[in-house]
Amino acid sequence: MSVGEYASRNRLSISLAVAAVLLIVAAAALLDLPGAELLTVGALERTLRAATPIALAAIGGLYAEKSGVFNIGLEGFMIFGAFTAAAAAWILSGDQSIGQLHLWAGILIAVLVCSLLTVAFAVLTIRYKADQIVAGLAVWFIGLGFGPFLASVVWGGVSSPALPNVATLTVPVLSDLPVIGRLLFDTSPLILFTLVLTVVAWVVLYRTRYGYWVQAAGENPEALDTAGVDVNRVRYATVVFSGAIAGLAGAVLSVGIGSGFIGTGVTIVDGRGWIAIVAYLFGNYNPVGAFLASLLFGAMDMLQIQLQTVGIALPGSITGLFPYVAVLVVLTLVGYTRVPAAVGEPYETEE
Amino acid sequence: MLQASVLERVAIAVASTLLALLLGSLIVAASGYDAVQFVSALLYGAFGTASNLAFTLRQSTMLILAGVAVAIAFRAGVFNIGVQGQFVVGGFATAITILFLAPMLPEGVVGGVLLMGLGTVAAVVAGGAYAALPGMMKAYAGANEVITTIMLNFIATGVVYFLVDGFLRPSGTSAPNTEPFPTYVELPPIVFESGTFSVIGLGVALAVVAVVYVTMVRTRFGYDLVTSGHQEPAAAYSGVNPKQTIVTTMTFSGMVAGLTGALFTIMILGYYSDPSTFPRFGFDAIAVSLLAANNPLGVVPAGLLFGGLDAGGQYIGFTLDVPAELVDGITGLVVLFVAAPELFRMAGRRTGLGGEKR
Repeated sequence: MSVGEYASRNRLSISLAVAAVLLIVAAAALLDLPGAELLTVGALERTLRAATPIALAAIGGLYAEKSGVFNIGLEGFMIFGAFTAAAAAWILSGDQSIGQLHLWAGILIAVLVCSLLTVAFAVLTIRYKADQIVAGLAVWFIGLGFGPFLASVVWGGVSSPALPNVATLTVPVLSDLPVIGRLLFDTSPLILFTLVLTVVAWVVLYRTRYGYWVQAAGENPEALDTAGVDVNRVRYATVVFSGAIAGLAGAVLSVGIGSGFIGTGVTIVDGRGWIAIVAYLFGNYNPVGAFLASLLFGAMDMLQIQLQTVGIALPGSITGLFPYVAVLVVLTLVGYTRVPAAVGEPYETEE
Repeated sequence: MLQASVLERVAIAVASTLLALLLGSLIVAASGYDAVQFVSALLYGAFGTASNLAFTLRQSTMLILAGVAVAIAFRAGVFNIGVQGQFVVGGFATAITILFLAPMLPEGVVGGVLLMGLGTVAAVVAGGAYAALPGMMKAYAGANEVITTIMLNFIATGVVYFLVDGFLRPSGTSAPNTEPFPTYVELPPIVFESGTFSVIGLGVALAVVAVVYVTMVRTRFGYDLVTSGHQEPAAAYSGVNPKQTIVTTMTFSGMVAGLTGALFTIMILGYYSDPSTFPRFGFDAIAVSLLAANNPLGVVPAGLLFGGLDAGGQYIGFTLDVPAELVDGITGLVVLFVAAPELFRMAGRRTGLGGEKR
């Protein structure tokens, strides 16, 4: 799908997004808010940081759903990713000073562990035809339970102590560019990786043969089967990818840009997996659209700081709810996204 | 959702629970704890003493009620994951009603009964209204109710905390708690010597089960509800408006969730507090309902089982220094296995224990 095609097919969501931006600008003008102070490079940077884990999980979930499996367990896999990355880095460092190498190893282990857990989820949903929504909810509950439990085993409490995070990557020369330099070339390598992944995910999905297989597995599995491609193999691959990347998203939260694992309440993930699902629905299953939607939710997440800097002090318990409210508004306005035709249906070859 | 005969469902429920407990014990052992001690402490914590049993029944009462709320929606093919939020909003409505009306009504038993009754009505209305919202969003805007109800859980917790902390906290106190209710607003314990469990509460839960069961099986409304869950075209053909059914189903489900909140507030708390610290009955209720194959009557044994697990888990948390969150994880495993009846069918066929009867 080219950009022009995307625009023509998604007139509603695009016009809604534009309307929302205009509304915010108008409100800012009416309330006499200093717009320049609201929209700073710092705000953009925070938005990008907040959007990264959401965008990662969204791209994974999008691939799984495109191929016909609704991975509603993203939130749970993120919790496992967040815990595993922090715990692995902690254990590898032998409780001493945690270095960059330990952090990266922790992230890698988190991706591996989440891939393995997702294999179990994929086998249950694809081979044993488990109800995808119920199984996904189960993954969330398992994460909510075992995440803090395992944290207690490792640290003696449901949260980890403060941990260091992945160092900023500064590209010489490029980082001196105005705005872009600070946003893209003087930032966490994980943010850069997310940007690259977004583009690659778009190219693979819409410009390669494999991408067409993924789409066919979700739209018309019989046709794909007739063409001699194993539908379930494609689905296993996308589901495991979605779990692996959700694990990475969790790792980004705990040791990538955050400072450790939090196991209290609904854990450090705090609904971002659910927001990721809405992000790719809003982006109409397009990786670039999903990334832009994640930016919107990231901005909502960071709005509190911006409001504070211009002197509007809303209590944190209220501003913390902005992303969830945004999700409700988005879902109500663009509820009818066309889901892939065969989502939720196990596929059986007729032999 | 799960295509199986009654006997098969019972077998799947038992197998799922046993498998989840086995996996849970393995994880406990792998984490360096004694699995045998874990299981025996679980049993002792659930049934060992009269006060442990009272705690089990208290948790079961809440889970049965919340489980019925979930079952109503699931039966009609709607996923109400927002029982926790409706439970929080309902309990909050009870608390403000009681605190607001207490000075205007006579003290003593009469005032207590009136306050509890009005507080419960407020909870039912509030819970129903809060559930109608995602119902309408699904029916008229096509918004996926799994996600909207989860978002509304977060929003309910945040907004209620904001209101309790900002407006209802007595000045000079630091905890986000409201004033305690007057002492005459309480359910008499009767059988057990427990400040937080009353047989009346359990009676209310069982009465609700009976009412919901009769409604589902014996009334036109219940018939429409279940038909639209299983056979939507058939329901539409017989003149059922599917959009309206979604909204009424969610409202009905939310009313029971609100009632759960009222009972929690009156029987267990006696004041209101930060809802993020409350037990997650609304989520565990999903496991209860699924284990019961979304049958309102089946919710009773399933609620008792999870009530026992919950009580045992909390006892373990106090005594063995194995964190109580473990039980939440085991609950999740039960849900996962219940979701995959095919797993057990295949295992049954392999071992020759269960036959193929199709």
